[in-house]
Amino acid sequence: MVSYALSHRAYVKIFLHAAKHPHRPVNGVLVGSASSSGVVDIQDVIPLLHHWTSLSPMMEIGLDLAKGHAECLGLSLVGYYQACERTDDAALAPVGERVAQQIQNQFNDAIAFVIDGDALGSGEAALIPYLPQPGADAAPWRPPSFDPPAFTPGSQVTLVNPASPSHAVALVRDNRLHDQFGDFDDHLEDVTIDWLSNKACIIPSV
Amino acid sequence: MSVHSALEELARYRARNKRASQEVFEKGTLILQKNGHKKMGDEVWDFLEQLALAAIDVGRLEVADRCLRQLSDKFPQSPRVNCLAGIRLEASEPPETALKYYSDLLEADPTNVAVWKRRISVLRRMGQMEEAISELSQYLDTFYTDIEGWLELADIYACCNQYDYSLQALSHTLLLAPQNPVYALQFAETAYTAGDLPLSLKMFLMVIDMTDGDETECLSESTPLGITVRAWYGVKLCTRRMSRDPQLVTTSASGTSPPRHAAILDELATERLRVAYSSAGKKGDIAQGRGIVFSWVASP
Repeated sequence: MVSYALSHRAYVKIFLHAAKHPHRPVNGVLVGSASSSGVVDIQDVIPLLHHWTSLSPMMEIGLDLAKGHAECLGLSLVGYYQACERTDDAALAPVGERVAQQIQNQFNDAIAFVIDGDALGSGEAALIPYLPQPGADAAPWRPPSFDPPAFTPGSQVTLVNPASPSHAVALVRDNRLHDQFGDFDDHLEDVTIDWLSNKACIIPSV
Repeated sequence: MSVHSALEELARYRARNKRASQEVFEKGTLILQKNGHKKMGDEVWDFLEQLALAAIDVGRLEVADRCLRQLSDKFPQSPRVNCLAGIRLEASEPPETALKYYSDLLEADPTNVAVWKRRISVLRRMGQMEEAISELSQYLDTFYTDIEGWLELADIYACCNQYDYSLQALSHTLLLAPQNPVYALQFAETAYTAGDLPLSLKMFLMVIDMTDGDETECLSESTPLGITVRAWYGVKLCTRRMSRDPQLVTTSASGTSPPRHAAILDELATERLRVAYSSAGKKGDIAQGRGIVFSWVASP
């Protein structure tokens, strides 16, 4: 049974991406590796789009470039994340499912997260995991019913640092760190924007 | 930040219809605290409307209510203020309440364009796509030159994977604003998503034509910037896919003829992207991810 560990850096960056574009859908990919003990370490994320998220060309190019960057670091694309435009919407389909499936074709244990808009400011982990359903290839991805539930101790999906959500909230509210965050859409307007690493937004765990 | 510069900044945002709600809220409340609004003359009403919208966006509804009260005192029964009141309703009431409010207003005054558009966006928000599309189409039959309406229709279709209809909607924006490279770019990307690569390539090249510097500058001496870089990426993506899958060259739902010089365009796009990533940026910063991009453009 595969389990997933989301690093502090990855959680914070997903949060920053969503915070930077509060009234838009955003998406990106998860970067990491599978350890021999059956844990997928989600070490980082590479943010892709916040604009025209239903259109594919820049998504395709962004995915290619993100994959190239991950491979240079000896890592793989291990999943996908997105935030929907509306806080009450937590669906992955249709765009998200297509991208997640593409990633899963190259990394068997890929996982997707949809940001839970209602839980974002709460200091709890505001991510809903989605996994492909076993069986037919075309089956939709669903949030699996984990026991214990995701992001609680002992669950299949955990945070490496349980304080990540509250720390992320503080970074946005007090430091305005999301102002320094850039995704592929930003990079396409100004190629000096560091969308692959977002070094300015790498904060060590406290 | 002084009240004077805050006022200027907010005026600039209004002129460009910029949303930036957090900043508008902070600057706007600063102005109110220091009574800057009393020296604004007639502009104060535009300012209050702008601040109300920003306050609703950041969830500070009490500030929005104060602005709204002042506006409705000054302009009772104004269609514009009624629309703002509807937006305020949308923030805290269930969407059905807002929908009924807008429907009542439209019955009394069917020419209230702003309210009609709000009604359509509430329908979209509720997930009632068919009604939203049907109303929006009716709206655009009446108000054909509303580019924002055509863009919204294109977006709704794209979100429902109906890219051909999205293209049709975008073609109207091209007719209404033929010199706007952003609409041409959206058209190019939608055509690509719809699988019409010859059309997509043609439109990406049109964006470059519209944006790539001034014509007196030799192409080989200019550095692609901004939207032009995005368009060159699009050209490269199209030419590469067409060379890998020749069937894509001749398949075009719009009947666009296949490009005659795809291989040369591919080389040109490669070179232009390499230049874009080799030059120092406007502030002398270097391009990020250069190595990754160079390998991407070099692969067959």
